Amino acid sequence: MKKYSTPYLIWMIALVLIPILFMMILSVTNTKGVNFEGATFDVSQWSKLTQSIYLTALWNSLRLSTYTSIISLIIGYPVAYWLSQSESKFKSLWLLMIIVPTWSNMLLRIIAWETLFYPRSILNSVGISLDLIGSDLAIVIGMVSIYLPFMIFPIYAVLDKMDPSYAEAASDLGASPFHIFTRVTLPLSLSGIVSGVIMTFLPSATAFAIPQRLGGGNVLLIGNIIESLFKRTFDYNLGSLFSLAVIVVIFLGMRVLSKVDAEGETLL
Amino acid sequence: MESQKQRLIEFVGVSKDFDDRVVNDFHLYINRNEFITLLGPSGCGKTTILRMLAGFEQPTEGSIYFNGTAIEDIPAHKRAINTVFQKYALFPHLDVYDNVAFGLRQKKMDKERIDQEVRSILRMVKLEHLIHRKTNQLSGGQAQRVAIARALVNKPEVLLLDEPLSALDLKLRQDMQYELKEMQRALGITFVFVTHDQEEALTMSDKIVVLNEGVVQQIGTPTDIYNEPKNRFVAQFIGESNIFPGVYQDKRTVSFFGQDFECVDENFTQGERVDVVIRPEDFDIRADGPLQVEVEAIVFKGVHYEVIGRGYEKEFVIHTYESPSVGDTIGLSVDPYEIHLMKVHDEEI
Repeated sequence: MKKYSTPYLIWMIALVLIPILFMMILSVTNTKGVNFEGATFDVSQWSKLTQSIYLTALWNSLRLSTYTSIISLIIGYPVAYWLSQSESKFKSLWLLMIIVPTWSNMLLRIIAWETLFYPRSILNSVGISLDLIGSDLAIVIGMVSIYLPFMIFPIYAVLDKMDPSYAEAASDLGASPFHIFTRVTLPLSLSGIVSGVIMTFLPSATAFAIPQRLGGGNVLLIGNIIESLFKRTFDYNLGSLFSLAVIVVIFLGMRVLSKVDAEGETLL
Repeated sequence: MESQKQRLIEFVGVSKDFDDRVVNDFHLYINRNEFITLLGPSGCGKTTILRMLAGFEQPTEGSIYFNGTAIEDIPAHKRAINTVFQKYALFPHLDVYDNVAFGLRQKKMDKERIDQEVRSILRMVKLEHLIHRKTNQLSGGQAQRVAIARALVNKPEVLLLDEPLSALDLKLRQDMQYELKEMQRALGITFVFVTHDQEEALTMSDKIVVLNEGVVQQIGTPTDIYNEPKNRFVAQFIGESNIFPGVYQDKRTVSFFGQDFECVDENFTQGERVDVVIRPEDFDIRADGPLQVEVEAIVFKGVHYEVIGRGYEKEFVIHTYESPSVGDTIGLSVDPYEIHLMKVHDEEI
């Protein structure tokens, strides 16, 4: 086993560990970009962490990505369940229809939403005028549409693999179809739900392109702030600090989630 | 005469099609408090019959009566029937206690009663020390007991067992055979048992249904099935058998390999072609025996030797306590009551 893990190890060191170490160094120095000449140890940017504009952005990110995860779960679970139970010969076609959009460029799909969300849009021709740009709703619709497949697939994978004899055993022991679902199928698919939530929450918490296009400059997420720190003001030090802060917050969130899951298994 | 009241379950002309027909025109009645075994090779339709009784499959044709009522349209969760699944299907998210309590909680029984019932059934299957164990930490034998307890705690009228012993090792399997039989006697519940293991069927059953390719071959007590197989399939499937072509003579005589043998079967006409069945353990080795065969191989089987002999262009399987040498010619004789005759069906090869 061990020798096969070497490429993975190299990958992790080169693309995860070294960048994070680099960001850690950047976050406690005062370099000019990545130019280390004359840089000294400096933690003055740390005081900015608690400035309200940054806190608001972080809060917005967590709030909107939570909405995104919940809505994706509400839409995604029934879809995954239906797909796993389906004996339709078009089943692989349905699966393909869920995958195919993820093959197209995300920005294109976001811009497609954007053009619909302005008051003057192609929808006017059918008498509809949306004015959503700059609203939370617009961003959440965008995020759900992009990340929904990442909720559906882990849940589908768990449900599809689930031994049908569990449901039969429950039915045999007197459980109605509703109770089979709530007492057996749902608790047994919890691991899929947790993966789905993680896989939708993570990218939406760090998204910057979606809020940039659909937020209309109105809604600032932490991803936008980090992006502008790196690309506009070239403040790599503060940018690194925020990136690390986001990693810490998400990591803590995952810890809580995995705890809930462990308890959930015994509760349900 | 069996009274109508004793009959608990009745299959009337039940057939089931998936892509092919897997059960064909199945008729059977099962009495209250009976241990009945559906026996056959894999794909013979035995599990499908069980699943139709449990309510997981609908018959394509025919009816199943339970206490005199047709039950095809009653869903599984409303039938007074519980199942022990082949791979147990214990709920992995629940511990032993909650698995066993599952059915009682569906009945909305109060907590104290549930607790009493669960503990008492776990005591019966000798698992009270594992009451809060996770199901994935159980051994095969323990998981098996939990599965039985989970079904029996509901006090079903019928318990269905789908090859429940197939995953256990030999010693444990034999112990469980006796225990299951004991439980069935003690609880007075009808057991419908599915297996491909003829020894298991012979050990436990009151009645055996031998199936092949969805068609009933023979229904009878273990002794009937073993001693009086109705056809070639049953004779070969239940234990090892020597089957030789013969011709029925008058007056309880059958001839095969050019010699006349006395026999006890009477229901044949003079000159009728028959299949002669002789169990390996029913041959006696005697120097002056009427059949002479050459020993080709000897296998030690523990209690006895299995001798493979050849003669009259046929293979003979003989079980004996003596050990002849390979290459010897031995004489064989058979007692009249050990010779069993079967009708020859033209479709059989």
